[in-house]
Amino acid sequence: MLLLWLAASVATWVPARWTAQDPQSLELLAGTPINCLLMEKVSPEFLAAASSRGLAVLLTLRPEADLEAVLHSAVHAGLSGLVLEGAFEQAQRERARRALPQTGLPLIELPPRAHLRLDRSGPILGSYQGLWPGIRVSEKGVARAAPTGSPWLETNTGFLRYLRAATDAPIWIANRPPAGPTSMERYLAAVADAAIIGARWVVALDPDFDGRLQRREAKALAAWKRIAEHLKFYEDHPEWRNWKPSGQLAIIIDGTSGALLANGIVDMIAVRHVPLRVVPRQRLSQQALQGARIIVSVDPAALDEAAKQLLRSFTRAGATLLSGPPGWKFPAPTVDQITLDEKGIESLGEIWREVNSVLGRRNLGARLFNVAGMLSHLLASPDGAQLVLHLANFTSYPVENITVHLPGSYTRARLLAPGEPPRELALQQIEEGVAIEIERVSSCAALLLDCKR
Amino acid sequence: MTRRELLALLGGGAYAAPGRSAPVAIVRARGYEQGLEAAVAGLFDQLGGLGRLVKGKTVTIKLNLTGSPASRFEGRPLGSTHYVHPRLVGAVVHAMGRAGARRVRLVESCWATGGPMEEFLLDCGWPVRALATAAPQVEFENTNARGKGRRYVRLKTPPGAWIYPAYDLNEAYEQTDVFVSLAKLKNHATCGVTLSLKNSFGITPASIYGDDAGLEEPNENPTTGRAAVFHFGKRGPSRSAPQEFDPQSSRDPGYRVPRIVAELVAARPVDLAVIDGIETVTGGEGPWIDGLRFVQPHLLIGGLNPVATDAVAMAVMGYDPQAVRGTPPFHRADNTLKLAEALGVGSADLRQIEVRGLSIEQARFPFPA
Repeated sequence: MLLLWLAASVATWVPARWTAQDPQSLELLAGTPINCLLMEKVSPEFLAAASSRGLAVLLTLRPEADLEAVLHSAVHAGLSGLVLEGAFEQAQRERARRALPQTGLPLIELPPRAHLRLDRSGPILGSYQGLWPGIRVSEKGVARAAPTGSPWLETNTGFLRYLRAATDAPIWIANRPPAGPTSMERYLAAVADAAIIGARWVVALDPDFDGRLQRREAKALAAWKRIAEHLKFYEDHPEWRNWKPSGQLAIIIDGTSGALLANGIVDMIAVRHVPLRVVPRQRLSQQALQGARIIVSVDPAALDEAAKQLLRSFTRAGATLLSGPPGWKFPAPTVDQITLDEKGIESLGEIWREVNSVLGRRNLGARLFNVAGMLSHLLASPDGAQLVLHLANFTSYPVENITVHLPGSYTRARLLAPGEPPRELALQQIEEGVAIEIERVSSCAALLLDCKR
Repeated sequence: MTRRELLALLGGGAYAAPGRSAPVAIVRARGYEQGLEAAVAGLFDQLGGLGRLVKGKTVTIKLNLTGSPASRFEGRPLGSTHYVHPRLVGAVVHAMGRAGARRVRLVESCWATGGPMEEFLLDCGWPVRALATAAPQVEFENTNARGKGRRYVRLKTPPGAWIYPAYDLNEAYEQTDVFVSLAKLKNHATCGVTLSLKNSFGITPASIYGDDAGLEEPNENPTTGRAAVFHFGKRGPSRSAPQEFDPQSSRDPGYRVPRIVAELVAARPVDLAVIDGIETVTGGEGPWIDGLRFVQPHLLIGGLNPVATDAVAMAVMGYDPQAVRGTPPFHRADNTLKLAEALGVGSADLRQIEVRGLSIEQARFPFPA
């Protein structure tokens, strides 16, 4: 009973790293949805002030911490829980896992991606490792792109899509910003990069921004307000976390075939704005593949006979199956690794060329135009009555004149965006279904569609 | 001078006509919003009016949409930097319709795709539906492959051509009464400038001249540019198309690209050249070139001869249109204008060109040396 209550409570936590020790700093949280602070040190006065505001405070421990001492004192200190962040030794983790639940305090583990255990249910599934979302910038300060290609997007969404599909636990990604000053747009991208998948980014500010915010500088306060507005936008729609990815492309993948690493096949497809459903190998089922017209099996050798039989039934029904090269095996990621290395990308080349060629101009759930520098994610409500198409803009300027082509029939389309009133959008009938024109997306938006039943 | 170049100068194609060349007009345009239609109308009026050129005709407008729409400079709209601006395209199409054009076709060999041009334009953020209604009958054709047509057409180059005897093109380039080059006022990394002449480089289909063109037959799903075939001559076009005169000739892009451009303009003459210099970039043709700078010359330049129009545009940019290789802006390439002149396309001699509207001095907007 206690564990159930605990899980329900933890699921509503909106986390942020907090460095200030001054209780007055908590005033900055007023009007924001942030209700859970991750701190590396904390005073009794601060804890009391936080508690009076209904805020949870978690003490963040690193592998070098004296775990035993903290475990003994945590409950009496008034903490709301502990966070193990980093590559703890197995024995340390087991010790903490055994000890903490007896105290009624949740233990949140943020290990390296390579140490993630999807089969072990904790109150939160997460990692401290992540890319800093945005457009990759070259040494000369300009967007990195192929001479005539798309800008290169740094994103954690491929990894998060996999976690979302592999577990029902709330997901946190606790990557930090770069050490130097970072633009507000990059913070908004970090919020959206996690939130569009139904995960939460553990808000963390660079030291410069943090310092200016604590000094209540006007520009920092304005940026903080904007970040909070974006957090609130997604927190105001908790139902979206229970909606399932929609689309007719399914990709069967797991941690041993690259799902834990960025820049892999899921990210490659996502950058093309093809709606896709990640199906972890362990969750492969008739239902998981329902409606799929294209199925990508990244590591066919890992499939058992039942899974192969299932795939055969789909291909017999008309679906296209694309498989990774026979005998090909992804190397297991190392503790420090979060992106595919050159060799990994090269190995994906063969399957990517095939996937790219089969995708062509097909509409597998949505086709988007003028969305370079953006990411999207299409979700369907459990009853099939609504779709939401998330749009996250990674550029530092508003994107104008986006067009979306959707198969099917709809009765209403609305554009929701942080800090803006909802906008009704016109539905134009086209051969593919409907076309919707979006005039402008500043940082992120959600296109909400009511389906014709 | 090669035998072929000598023949070009001596042959019937050589431009040697005395007297004034076709006129070129320069008008001021404050931006792409208010007053643009009036500026466009003023430009065409300076050239004697559009009616006599387009009434009852099929007009094909080759747009300049260089590179991928995903490639943006400083996050600005493509039309403000290295593409022609959609509002200018709309204004030109509307003017054509008002002047009585029977059909207006917008064409471009869209970067790395054989898909519908309408979808490419949507990817550019263009108002396709509005463009489609800017004149009574507006069509779109991606000429990067065979497109909506049934066949490719073969357009021959004149005597004196250097690289190819003919080019195989989308049939839209033949099925037209009036061919318009709607270009951007820009520098070009290889050719020095890219104006109404260089815009014609993009009439070639990557299905035949692309790096992934079929060896024997065209590849109707091209996904690359044309550097291997055209710039470097590392491979030939699909064997279904005419091959090079001399595969042993120079492989230097500064030799090849200007000659290919000149040949294309001679094979598919430009009847009306319009150059968008309202907003643009200096220093190169697109964001993949280092050192680009966004500028606002606020100019539209137009003419009935592309060599004359480009000559005036170059002078406005602060360059000598008769400059030789090794001098600005032709640092690494031969002068495309002079090569086109050698094929009889027009004159790059400013003394032969009547400039209407603003004078070159009034319009001068220096580009980098």
